[in-house]
Amino acid sequence: MSVDTATSGAPVGVPAVEMHGISKRFGDVVAVDKVDLEIGDGEFFALLGPSGCGKTTTLRMIAGLDIPSEGRLAIFGEEVASWPPDRRPVNTVFQAYALFSHMTVAQNIAFGLQMRGIRGAEADRQVAEATALVRLEGMEQRRPSQLSGGQQQRVALARALVNHPKVLLLDEPLGALDLKLRQEMQTELKALQREVGITFIFVTHDQEEALAMSDRVGVMSEGRLLQVGTPTQVYEHPANRFVADFIGRTNLLEGVVEGRTALRLDAGAVVAVETDLAAGTPAALSVRPEQVRLHGRGEAPQGAPCLDGVIGDATYLGHAFVYTVSMGAPGDGATTITVRAETGSAALAVGEPVSVSWSPATTTVVAD
Amino acid sequence: MSNLSTAGTKRSARRLLKANAWFVFAFLYVPIVVLVIFSFNDSERVNVWQGLSPRWYGEALGNTQIISALRVSLIVAISSTIVSTVLGTAVALALDRYRFKGRRALDGTVYLPIVIPDITMAVMLLVFFAEAFKLIDTFGPRLTLGVTTVALSHIAFNISFVAVVVRARLDQFDRTLEEAARDLYATPWRTFRRVTLPLIAPGIAAGALLALALSLDDVVISAFTAGPGATTLPVYVFSTIRQGVTPELNAISTLMLAASITLVVASLALQRPRSTTP
Repeated sequence: MSVDTATSGAPVGVPAVEMHGISKRFGDVVAVDKVDLEIGDGEFFALLGPSGCGKTTTLRMIAGLDIPSEGRLAIFGEEVASWPPDRRPVNTVFQAYALFSHMTVAQNIAFGLQMRGIRGAEADRQVAEATALVRLEGMEQRRPSQLSGGQQQRVALARALVNHPKVLLLDEPLGALDLKLRQEMQTELKALQREVGITFIFVTHDQEEALAMSDRVGVMSEGRLLQVGTPTQVYEHPANRFVADFIGRTNLLEGVVEGRTALRLDAGAVVAVETDLAAGTPAALSVRPEQVRLHGRGEAPQGAPCLDGVIGDATYLGHAFVYTVSMGAPGDGATTITVRAETGSAALAVGEPVSVSWSPATTTVVAD
Repeated sequence: MSNLSTAGTKRSARRLLKANAWFVFAFLYVPIVVLVIFSFNDSERVNVWQGLSPRWYGEALGNTQIISALRVSLIVAISSTIVSTVLGTAVALALDRYRFKGRRALDGTVYLPIVIPDITMAVMLLVFFAEAFKLIDTFGPRLTLGVTTVALSHIAFNISFVAVVVRARLDQFDRTLEEAARDLYATPWRTFRRVTLPLIAPGIAAGALLALALSLDDVVISAFTAGPGATTLPVYVFSTIRQGVTPELNAISTLMLAASITLVVASLALQRPRSTTP
């Protein structure tokens, strides 16, 4: 798909990474399928998708660890598609860190400098600087096996950042950490990126992580890049059914497009929408649970799209209620809609007749 | 009641297994202990005990035939170990990481020398050398069996052992580490030297020690492929033993035993995964 750079927030100037029609095939398997992507200088960019979607292969092609089957790949304007990894101005933080177990922390960090011929006092100074950057002072003489998971991760970061790469690639860098540490590292990575000002490209399958950390997100599925945009854009205006479903929770109300402003839902009603899809296209309306308003039956405000139903299930979360509202006949075939309501309003009982409504601006019509 | 009888059965089964373990242990080690004890026998005759003495060790080390056989053994062992370690490691690396024509065939046959009987291997090598010499002789030089042919033969079987041991190490090797090195500006060669080689070095060393031990121990192949004047120590022991066991042989055997146990233990120690805790 094409990316509208005017609305997707892509920065101007020479892009840090530029991909045109990049594909990668392994035998008959197409891992990455004609990806076009521009990542700006200094951006924190997340490649998001389920496992096997091609995000890691895309990252590896930027690193030079996989060579594209076709397409053009430039780093800061320089064509690098056929360059070996040791010639590229990028460094990688690997998923399981890939620290050299036969070297100390300091030797690990100094490795890239040594390979580029930087030795002696200058190398020592830069290693000390990188060690301080990731707050690993005092650990220099330890072996990776003597460090905790979080510390190993810092070593991997320092080992990459000490080289002042033009682009830092991170392959699921937080995947091996436990939840609490992962949240701490999210904040820390973000702060680190601001401090060093380097373009970070970050691969993850965790959509919350992607939304929380990045300036822009690229959503991938089955080798294709489906949507690129700011976290708000991909969350509020998903480009298709997959993105709507993958990013956050949503209600997908199935229907058929009737025109530029109307969608006939399978549940019966015709609701107001804004869409560019042709009339007759099967599509779904994506309505986020927190955008749905609950009313007593028939009390919904005039003008807003509205559906009638009964409370099918209620879950108390402390700060909110989550209700499932069933429309039409109860049973397997019934359309349901999940509603998230702030606590404070009175709890509704299962079986109570209600109406749900939403503002058309908060919804998106998505097709396959 | 039934609980008690199961407990009883369990107990007697355990006792039986214990007894069996001791029996196997004795079966394996009593001859060795006897050999070691008798190597310190002061007597001229092996079967008459006359008290402890290191006398036969002195005699053995003073015997010029033994010393010259030991020299041949060491030359063959060291040279064949060096060559087979390099070649065996290269084979293991090639099989581990490259897909090439004939890879499967090589994968299947590289281990053959481990399983085919020594005597077959010995006859095979002898025939090979004889034919090869005939061919080379037509071009002028006259080649004969000697230290070189013994060393070549040892290389032929040691490559397999080194390859097996190194490959086991490579199986545990994380290729991402090589990618990390490449990503950190290391050329393929420097990646190999700085990352791959140090990490598989224990496997290579274990393979080399095993090769050294096997070469020092070999009788059959050495006897077939050595010409006159290239007698290795085990071959010397084998040929003198036909005139009767002497206390001197007990002493040499004990020394060889000590050497090979040291090498094999060192080899096993190196193959053990290194503990990760400090």
